[in-house]
Amino acid sequence: MIGGGGIGMVMIVNLVIWTGLFLYLLRLESHVRDLEKEP
Amino acid sequence: MTAPLVRPVPVQAAAPASSAARAWLAEAGAVFVKDWRTELRTRHALHTLLLFAVTTLVTVSLALGPMGVASSERVAVLPALLWVIVLFAAAAGLPRGFVHEEETHTAIALRLAGTPSAIFCGKALYSASLLLALEALLAPLYVAVMQLPIAQPALLLAALGLGGLGLAIASTLLAAIVAQAQGRAALFPILAFPVLLPLLLLAVELTRGAVAGGVGDAVLTNLALYDATMAVAGLMLFPLVWNP
Amino acid sequence: MSTLSVAGRAWRWALWAWISICIVGAFLYAPLAAKFIGQSSRILFFHVPMAWTSFVAFIAAGVWSILYLWRRDPDQDRAAAAAVEIGLVFCFLATATGAMWARVMWGAWWNWDPRQTSISVVLVFYAAYLVLRGAVEDLEARARLCAAYAVLGLVVAPFFFFVLPRMVSFTLHPDAVINTRAKVEVESRMLQVLLASSLGFNVLFFWMHGVRVRLLRVAARRAPQVELEEVPA
Repeated sequence: MIGGGGIGMVMIVNLVIWTGLFLYLLRLESHVRDLEKEP
Repeated sequence: MTAPLVRPVPVQAAAPASSAARAWLAEAGAVFVKDWRTELRTRHALHTLLLFAVTTLVTVSLALGPMGVASSERVAVLPALLWVIVLFAAAAGLPRGFVHEEETHTAIALRLAGTPSAIFCGKALYSASLLLALEALLAPLYVAVMQLPIAQPALLLAALGLGGLGLAIASTLLAAIVAQAQGRAALFPILAFPVLLPLLLLAVELTRGAVAGGVGDAVLTNLALYDATMAVAGLMLFPLVWNP
Repeated sequence: MSTLSVAGRAWRWALWAWISICIVGAFLYAPLAAKFIGQSSRILFFHVPMAWTSFVAFIAAGVWSILYLWRRDPDQDRAAAAAVEIGLVFCFLATATGAMWARVMWGAWWNWDPRQTSISVVLVFYAAYLVLRGAVEDLEARARLCAAYAVLGLVVAPFFFFVLPRMVSFTLHPDAVINTRAKVEVESRMLQVLLASSLGFNVLFFWMHGVRVRLLRVAARRAPQVELEEVPA
């Protein structure tokens, strides 16, 4: 595991959390876009 | 192209500015007097302030006693407790400054008739006089009961005066905000805490200086600065809070 | 910002990449700070940017509030409220990470040193603003009163950021934060990651803020009399 065990895992968990948050924000924004399009 | 003669300024031109100021002061004074008259009739705020202050004082005194705090800790602990008592009493007694107006519907008349900044000034001075009167009663009692030695009484007076004034001004503005919202009793302390924290810390520090015999100049200056800032902010924000 | 163009989409993915690089950099590229226990200094790369962002949010809310009181444009009120809401999230995370770090460094979660006090006061301000917002029914009054409170907060803020640090005497504990922070910043690699991370978090804040404001606008359109803060189902 890169980074030598423990600290590498922490980094990967961070990346996963961040990516998850990011994808959620993308979906949220597209949902808002749809709502904006309605009359 | 002769130079024009300098025309004497008519006396009337100078008058409006000072008469406007006088009218403003008169208005503020009228609000102040009206609030005191109402207060003396019901004595509600006075009773609340006194009740909370005395209850807290008794609790502190009973719990700690004159010997309860080691003399080495006195400087650190006792000034803070004094201000806790003042704050508690103020939070109980001051927020209703505008609620009374809203409830009895005199607020409408006041909005129509008065200049907002003058109203704010009158109300703030009223709250300040209430609080300072309370402090005048509380502080000697506290000092006596807790056996608190005061090395520099002037600093104590400054702390009580500036601290009380700042507390009153901030409370008046916050009370105006809270009067237009629901859940007023609980709302006031929530809104007040972050705003009053610098004031309280400075006042406690200055009081500590009074007990210990000296404090940095910055503390007194900053406390005065806070009061000034609060006064300006209040005069500017109150009209916006008061009128839609 | 409601564009679906490639360029429009791209900056979001660029943000993703930027923050991902910062995360990797925080753990693999930046050196450990001296005087810090184990790997704990790595938390700084997230804690500090989030704290800065919450201060930015605080000021932004204040500025928008001033604009609202001047112009009475409901959109500015929405912008201020959104700044407070999202600022609260960042502030809470900053406070929590700060406390975790304090625990590791000095054994105590909380010791009221000036920085901890400042961040916690901002946190309480945010919470109080939102409580006020929930306590006023009339829309116009809500916007006006909240704006006034936000401006009051802005006015009081300098006392926390400039006056408090000079009053360290009131804490019984020595304040190690300021001293160690000053030494930490010297390492260039650490500084790089710190600045990069700060930029990333600020952009993230404004993105989230933008989405939130748009949501508030849509909700207002749907139910203008009530102006819910949520879109009705």
